[in-house]
Amino acid sequence: MAEFWNGYLLPGILILAQILVLVVPLLLAVAYLTLMERKVLAAMQLRMGPNVVGPFGLFQPWADAVKLMFKEPILPTGANKVVFVIAPMITFILALIAWAVIPLGTGLVIANINVGILYLFAISSLGVYGIIMAGWASNSRYAFLGALRSSAQMVSYEVSMGFVIITVLLLVGSLNLGHIVEAQHGGFWKWHWVPLFPMFIVFFISALAETNRHPFDLPEAEAELVAGYQVEYSSMSFALFFLGEYANMILMSAMTAILFMGGWLPPFEFGPTAGVLGALWGFFWFFLKIFVLLFVFIWIRATLPRYRYDQLMRIGWKVFLPLSLIYLVIVAGFVTYWPR
Amino acid sequence: MPTLKIDGIEVTVEPGTTVLQACEIAGKEIPRFCYHERLSIAGNCRMCLVEQEKAPKPIASCAMPAADGMVIKTDTPLVKKAREGVMEFLLINHPLDCPICDQGGECDLQDQAMGYGRGGSRYQENKRAVTEKEMGPLVATSMTRCIHCTRCIRFVTEVAGVAELGATGRGEDMEVTTYLGAALSSEISANVIDLCPVGALTSKPYAFTARPWELRKAESVDVMDALGSNIRIDYRGREVMRVLPRLNEAVNEEWLSDKGRFSCDGLSKRRLDKPYVRKNGKLQAATWPEAFAAIAAKVQGLNGGEIAAIAGDLACAEGMTALKDLMSGLGSANIDCRQDGAKLPAGSRAGYVFNSGVAGIDQADAILLIGTDPRKEAPVLNARIRKRLLKGGLRIAAIGPKVDLTYPVEWLGNDATAVAGICNGAHAFAEVLKSAKNPMLILGQGALARLDGAAVYSAAKAIADNCGLVKDGWNGFNVLHTAAGRVAGLDLGLVPGQGGLDVAGIQSAAQSGQVKFVYLLQADELDTSKFGSAFVVYQGSHGDAGAHRADVILPAAAYTEKDATWVNTEGRVQLARRAVAPPGDAREDWSIIRALSEALGKKLPYDSLGQLRRRMLELAPHFAAVDRLTPAAWNVATAPGTIDGSWGFVYAVTDHYRTNPIARASGTMAECAEVARTGSVKAPEKMLVATNG
Amino acid sequence: MGFLDRTGRTLFLAELASGMALTFRYMFKKRATVNYPYQKGPLSPRFRGEHALRRYPSGEERCIACKLCEAICPAQAITIEAEPRDDGSRRTTRYDIDMTKCIYCGFCQEACPVDAIVEGPNFEYSAETREELFYDKNKLLANGDRWEYEIARNLEADAPYR
Repeated sequence: MAEFWNGYLLPGILILAQILVLVVPLLLAVAYLTLMERKVLAAMQLRMGPNVVGPFGLFQPWADAVKLMFKEPILPTGANKVVFVIAPMITFILALIAWAVIPLGTGLVIANINVGILYLFAISSLGVYGIIMAGWASNSRYAFLGALRSSAQMVSYEVSMGFVIITVLLLVGSLNLGHIVEAQHGGFWKWHWVPLFPMFIVFFISALAETNRHPFDLPEAEAELVAGYQVEYSSMSFALFFLGEYANMILMSAMTAILFMGGWLPPFEFGPTAGVLGALWGFFWFFLKIFVLLFVFIWIRATLPRYRYDQLMRIGWKVFLPLSLIYLVIVAGFVTYWPR
Repeated sequence: MPTLKIDGIEVTVEPGTTVLQACEIAGKEIPRFCYHERLSIAGNCRMCLVEQEKAPKPIASCAMPAADGMVIKTDTPLVKKAREGVMEFLLINHPLDCPICDQGGECDLQDQAMGYGRGGSRYQENKRAVTEKEMGPLVATSMTRCIHCTRCIRFVTEVAGVAELGATGRGEDMEVTTYLGAALSSEISANVIDLCPVGALTSKPYAFTARPWELRKAESVDVMDALGSNIRIDYRGREVMRVLPRLNEAVNEEWLSDKGRFSCDGLSKRRLDKPYVRKNGKLQAATWPEAFAAIAAKVQGLNGGEIAAIAGDLACAEGMTALKDLMSGLGSANIDCRQDGAKLPAGSRAGYVFNSGVAGIDQADAILLIGTDPRKEAPVLNARIRKRLLKGGLRIAAIGPKVDLTYPVEWLGNDATAVAGICNGAHAFAEVLKSAKNPMLILGQGALARLDGAAVYSAAKAIADNCGLVKDGWNGFNVLHTAAGRVAGLDLGLVPGQGGLDVAGIQSAAQSGQVKFVYLLQADELDTSKFGSAFVVYQGSHGDAGAHRADVILPAAAYTEKDATWVNTEGRVQLARRAVAPPGDAREDWSIIRALSEALGKKLPYDSLGQLRRRMLELAPHFAAVDRLTPAAWNVATAPGTIDGSWGFVYAVTDHYRTNPIARASGTMAECAEVARTGSVKAPEKMLVATNG
Repeated sequence: MGFLDRTGRTLFLAELASGMALTFRYMFKKRATVNYPYQKGPLSPRFRGEHALRRYPSGEERCIACKLCEAICPAQAITIEAEPRDDGSRRTTRYDIDMTKCIYCGFCQEACPVDAIVEGPNFEYSAETREELFYDKNKLLANGDRWEYEIARNLEADAPYR
């Protein structure tokens, strides 16, 4: 009994607790990200934004959640029922399990694996399945077109993203996300975005495309495809897509922060570094960086109009891919001839 | 033949033509208010001013006879200015209350003010106000709007022949009025509503209910008398709003009797809208299959001789065709369409139609009326006789009780034997007929619907033969019917077949129990208590006499609710278009009989109106000649008999406003009948209020 | 120089940056919208809102059933039935406006010879059922009584320009 307790149940409970500690605030963050998006967009468009539910509209996400939960789930007659139901779950689950390897501080990670970045890459590539299943199972032209666009777009940008990550790996020499952050130790001028500035930009723009955000939101382009692959979804299944998309945004921001902006490291060498205080201090900076990046996500949405499909492809294949390839060679050369 | 030049166009016109008519021939439109083709020329509105070369001032074209070499201009600045001036004067005292005026939207003054007016008035002073006049239950007045064209006065005096309208005062004080506020006594009085170019005289029953632009129109035929006046039914939604005359020179010109115009409110009252079956002595609402089953249960096991059918006054040709075929399918020869018992021969068409045609009246120079009161039986036809009389050279004599026909008549006494007297040349009027070029005899239903009707008929036929009424290109033997469906019934042969019974025969057989089943098709004008214990099926539109006696009621469409064929007293075949849908479960006559025939196992071989009409053409080929008169050959066989001189003629129509179920259901007709009976109008409360307000 | 200039701009995403700067600046500008249910914008005297049938100061309804509004209504939203009232004057027995059909063009009030039908300043009359938006004569007259002061003031303000 004791062996069972020590060997299985206790670790299981611990892992579950860790997951809950991560996921619950994450979902909370997703909820308030939607509010932030609406508020920021409104501000940039000289509007008010939600301001009726609660003070400053702070309870708006809850109202939305309640609304979505109580809406009627609609199964289209022509839909493939099983796939139709599974698709949003896949999207949502994939958006969450990627968080297993994201370190929030030194050693503050659920699964501290050495191939963390590879794992992340694999998970974000799988994300396209949820979308293409949703598009196909809906048995609707709009949904199908949206899914096709989405998969083409995600596949295209993953290529250049991969090369960008390789440049980072070359500098660090490890696939462990914790190590990547530690390698940027020593103030913001040591962060990777300084030597890899073009790659930082390429990575961020690719992240926009990867999460189907403006100006690359062609899969759901409401003007032409109504809502793309989500068109037949309602109620909770729609909510799952929604949560997944916003969780992905936060994930991409976290990745950008880890790869290029020193993760939980403060911009200057100050403040506590060890113990609970150190963890909180690190978490504060990590949170701040993610917040800023998310703000930029929204800011871009408020500024730029949607790209045309051919423009999207042109940037992905004819600009980002060559650029990242050239930069990869340059970085490789530097690492080989001027090792640190 | 004067030739004149109008705006450079040379036209040659008949002598006596006015300049205005010449302008119309030349295609120039001349505005006018007082001028009307069918009325005498008044020349008092001055709207028709045109410029004549070498004349010092514009001339009133309606009153100026066209002369050779005249040069007329209708589009010069002078003419324009003259018209604008006249229009401005006309509008000085016109209240411009178009929004509350029923004429709005179809008003000559509105249209011409738009077309020829100057768009503003310089008149600042107070306008005059005129007290309302009472003109009976049909014509609403708003005399402040009157522009004194006197069309109404001329119509009532000349066409209607009752000098009851006139003008008092001069200039601004002129007022058109009836004598001491009496109602107009004419049966065609409401035509003044159409004639009035402004909203001074409008329709009282139609007051404020609709605007011309929201009405839809269906061309139809009036069935209130046998003249078959052409009418236009204006309807909105499912409701007939009003009836207006349609121009047909050969029938009604542009007039319409008041009954035809205003009985339309009866179409929505006392309607039969679902079948009824009598159970335990009470009529109870039923469905069509129940009604048919009740009839089938009764008809089962009856032989043809025990079944009879009577077609009434408002039965259309289609319904009667179906009825005739159904009865022959059931093996019955007991069928009749002469519910008043008129002794009309069915065989020869010339024997029962108005052979010379209504337009033929214009050529007649001697007319003998036998037992007919055309003023009550066909008011528009009476106006035509009067019009002919006013032209001069016409002698009219009448046999029957003395009545006011609106024109002088030589009364030959109410003695039926006088007919025989003329026939054998003993009477002086025989010479008049013989010497006349186009002599005419009008035989009324009052003379035929008597026990000795056949004898009167053969005597009248003998007059036609002996006095030369029938000659090349002229047949002066005319029967004036009172029922719209009668001629079609006779054409289609709805008369007793071999060994069959006529209406009187059916009734006595029903009372003695030989006839056990009677089918009444729109038949109300007969004594319904005389059917004994027979099973009576009534098919019709209104809950009237027939429906009260019926054991099964089948609701049918009224004349506005079906595409139907009507044959008028001249034998003119006319098509009426459906305006509105029948109420409730009511259906067209023929389709009810067609459905019943299936329930009785004697299915009629037509499913559509087209097929039915082909069958109609088989029965009466002249039905193909729609709107045209087919001359009938003069080969009438008569049965000799003796005329019973002990009692005189009684006219077929005594209560003019209540001759059929529709008119009896109409509130307006009831008011008219009341006014005609008492000769007075109700206390004009409205007048007082309008004056005070 | 032009080439260099263009290339530099493209390479350093200059247009993008200036655009982003613009939106960022706008974030701190004054809001253009009003907090609607609590604040309201100004209305022109010609504002075409909810319909109303007016009365004369004596209480007599203005409408004379001329049916010009019914005729001119491009959406055919107005239905009128009329007959003589007991005192002989021309009045409507039915005056219906289907507010779900109405396109608020204002032709009805333009056509009205007696200023009876007007589109008042009220725009807050949403309903939970369609039936509530089928206005009848009583509802319209009640509207007229309720909004008479504002309607009269608006008509007066607009009168010089008619």
